[in-house]
Amino acid sequence: MSDISRRSFLKFGACVAGGLCASEALGEAAAPRETAARPALTTVLPYPRLKLAHATQLKTGVELRLTYPDKESPISLLKLGKKAINGIGPDADIVAYSRLCSHMGGSLNFRPSAGEFQCPLHYARFDAAKSGLIIIGQATDNLPQIQLHMDRKGDIYAVGILGLVYGRRANILG
Amino acid sequence: MSKIFHGPDRVPIPPRDAEQFTTVCSYCIVGCGYRVYKWPEGKEGGPKPAHNALQVDFTRQQGAQTGTWISPAMHSVVTDRDGTRSHVVLLPDADCVVNRGNHSIRGGTHGSVLYAPDRPTADRLSHPLMYRGSTQLPTTWQEAIDLSAHVIKAALDKWGPDTVAMKCFDHGGGGGGFENNWAVGKFFFTGIGTQMASIHNRPAYNSEVFAAGDAGIAALPSAYLDAELADTIVLIGANSYETQSIYFLEHMLPNLTGASLVKKQQLLPEEPHAAGRMIIVDPRRTSTVAIAESAAGTANVLHLQIRNGTDIVLMNALSRLIYEQGWQDQAFIDGRTKNFDAITTTNLAQDLEEATKLTGISNAQMMQAAEWIAKPKASNIRRRTLLLYEKGLIWGLKNYENVASVVDLALLTGNLGKAGTGCGRLGGHQEGYSRPNYPGKRPPVNVDEVAIKGGASKVFWVAGCNPVGGTLNAQQFRITLEKRTALVNQALDETAGGTMERRVAAILDAMEQGGLFLLVQDIYPIDTAKYAHVVFPAAQWGEMNLTSINGERRLRLYQKFMDPPGVAEPDWKIMAMMAQRIEHLYRAEGNRDMAVRFSGFDWQTDEEVFRAAAVGVAGAQEDYGETTYAMLKAIGTNGVQTPIKKIEDGKPIGTVRLYEESGRFTFIPAKWPGYPEPISKLMNDERYPFWVNNGRANHGWQTLYDDQRKPYVMGREPLPFVEIHPEDASKLELANGDLVELFNPHGSVTAMAVIVDSNRPGHVFMLFEHPKGWLNSLTTGYVDPDTTIPYYKGTKAGIRKIGALPEWQERLTFIPTNQA
Repeated sequence: MSDISRRSFLKFGACVAGGLCASEALGEAAAPRETAARPALTTVLPYPRLKLAHATQLKTGVELRLTYPDKESPISLLKLGKKAINGIGPDADIVAYSRLCSHMGGSLNFRPSAGEFQCPLHYARFDAAKSGLIIIGQATDNLPQIQLHMDRKGDIYAVGILGLVYGRRANILG
Repeated sequence: MSKIFHGPDRVPIPPRDAEQFTTVCSYCIVGCGYRVYKWPEGKEGGPKPAHNALQVDFTRQQGAQTGTWISPAMHSVVTDRDGTRSHVVLLPDADCVVNRGNHSIRGGTHGSVLYAPDRPTADRLSHPLMYRGSTQLPTTWQEAIDLSAHVIKAALDKWGPDTVAMKCFDHGGGGGGFENNWAVGKFFFTGIGTQMASIHNRPAYNSEVFAAGDAGIAALPSAYLDAELADTIVLIGANSYETQSIYFLEHMLPNLTGASLVKKQQLLPEEPHAAGRMIIVDPRRTSTVAIAESAAGTANVLHLQIRNGTDIVLMNALSRLIYEQGWQDQAFIDGRTKNFDAITTTNLAQDLEEATKLTGISNAQMMQAAEWIAKPKASNIRRRTLLLYEKGLIWGLKNYENVASVVDLALLTGNLGKAGTGCGRLGGHQEGYSRPNYPGKRPPVNVDEVAIKGGASKVFWVAGCNPVGGTLNAQQFRITLEKRTALVNQALDETAGGTMERRVAAILDAMEQGGLFLLVQDIYPIDTAKYAHVVFPAAQWGEMNLTSINGERRLRLYQKFMDPPGVAEPDWKIMAMMAQRIEHLYRAEGNRDMAVRFSGFDWQTDEEVFRAAAVGVAGAQEDYGETTYAMLKAIGTNGVQTPIKKIEDGKPIGTVRLYEESGRFTFIPAKWPGYPEPISKLMNDERYPFWVNNGRANHGWQTLYDDQRKPYVMGREPLPFVEIHPEDASKLELANGDLVELFNPHGSVTAMAVIVDSNRPGHVFMLFEHPKGWLNSLTTGYVDPDTTIPYYKGTKAGIRKIGALPEWQERLTFIPTNQA
């Protein structure tokens, strides 16, 4: 890791998706724990803090298909290669989204050329650089975005979700 | 929080004992069925199937397309008049044959627009308002109705019926229904007797399809099933993915992908079948084109990118090509039509070279379209072609001949009254029209020009529409309203505290000077209401029982499930209050004849009005005969397709498609008339080089009257967009998201540039109704002189870059919508 990107990590590393940069998160990031105190989210749902990947595992434009907050909720972790709303990392371009279309739960395809997610069921499309903003389609909300946090080592954690994942009454099942 | 809107991360689910209702979407013609659940605040269903009304296991992730997922936008907490707070959920009905649990972005966000005093709908009109002291202040129904009744009566007595003008909804669904339409019609036509009437989106009281009517074809002759059975679907001037979304997704797409082949073989076993093809006539490459191509393959979709205003030429060229090949349905022409000879020298004489030059469509493409429409299938069996048109045609160059040229093509090819065929409107809003006859002649008077700008009327009542942005040539309309209503403001100010007699006399004096007394009846404080002297708060969908039909004439009961805000009332009741007050005033002075005209408004329930309105639909496509609310309640969201043939064991028996057994049709000659003078004047002026086409977009409904309360929708579209071709954008030095001004001698408007090659260079497409930029400021006053329908889709303008709005540019997406 070069010095420049190391400094950038320090600058951006404590920012969670959602635009919150909690200063106390710095200390927390230095000693990552699976059950660390959550950053100030608007929810009271018990979101788990789960490690998704290390920054070096991400290749620009290639999605990592993972799950969060549980195995039944597929997500896509991406390095877009351009600054994204709520993006994290030195280039503010690392984002993650639910892979279930917020219209009727179709499995979304990521298209790197356009930087969008597309649903094969009813052709909904969401902008991956704009917090899942709907481009066109019949969904009733923008695509749920996974709130991310990167620690100083470059480990990427999922810490919460903006919006309700398709097929649930609450993002945390039960 | 995030710069981009995201709803909450959980939603309450209905408990087992939640109250249940059925309704239909309040918005577009398709009329998707919805189930409504209502239960007290503070309670919630449990996640186990036995503990919630959906009987779904919410401890697990649901699979795709279950039709049992409640999104947060489908939920609200409402407060009824007795102060009770309740959760309400509006869930697309998986058992409704129209939508099968599917929903559009518009209908699926209905939870966001239920009235709630602590949500963005808090600005609903809750009490009557009256102009007082240079502003509008809340008042009682009694004062608002009393002053208005005196003014209307005085104007009527002094100048006669045409002194009272109206521009009112004629919708089904959210804006009206048979109940409200009947009351409006009875008041203005039986009571007032005015010719100065106009329908919400146009300057006159007319059909938008006079030509189809003259040919003997109702506006909505086919069933959605026909789109699943057709060999070829032709969409003319319609962007159905965005404007009839669920008709397109649930009934057209399964045909294009071959998913409906089984149904074809079952219902039509005697002939060969293949996956359907689609022809789309549109000057713009829309999302509908892209999605159809993605679903069917580009070899099975033909986009005819027609030049603005040349529909008649194209339709006639297709008719000629088909006739020259001998592909016409001679048996149909001989047995069920008349006046064929009249089109031989007009439609069928269309010069083909000229057609290519005018339309911009090659002869080869035209020939391919002709084949897909009419070239017989194997064993010489006729193709089944469904021809569907909407505003791109209706609001085109010349309404009457535009529609006639399509109707003639359908008659020539026998595409009517058979499975998989038809020729009708796709539709905008739902239908629920029932009114006494309009007292005017045809072509009807242009109310904007004669009554409002021309001064012939002195009272103007606007209900359920927003003409200051929605009517043609809207900037001039606004200027007139402002001037004329100000004179009455002055009269009201000068007589504050005075007797009714003195106030009415002052208003009449102002009217002599050109003053206009304006009443606005709506659910929201719309732009037109800014100029009003009296504002009446109306109930909306869900706050009264109403009935309407969808685009395949499917009649359903939309149940009341909550109270209107404050003292708001259903439109029919407001009309009744006014009629009864005027009746009383006439009786008091012994004028029995006039009193009788305003009598008969003493309905007590929504259903009484529904039954009264049955007389207005007798013999029409929406004839519902003896149907009652109880019968409709029993058949829920599937309802019954009108006309109702009979009632059997308390169940109405309807009609799947029209003209299967009877009907004789008339060919109507259609010749391209060239561009009208107001347009050719702009065409010959180099200051206005851009053709400005316009229309709706997926994420909003009409004037965005509801959508302005949906943060999700307004986050996508805070300003109207204008699509500009990259070549033009480069000349204008524009970037995506730049604010531009469009201008011509009729007015000017701003819009946000979206750079995309969806239109030909020199042609732009703007969102047609947005309260932060009314496209109609640019439209000319031109209407088809035979129908008084405007050429909304065609005007020309200059475009000037204003500058960038970086904050919005960052939050918006500019990835083209017309990809799939």
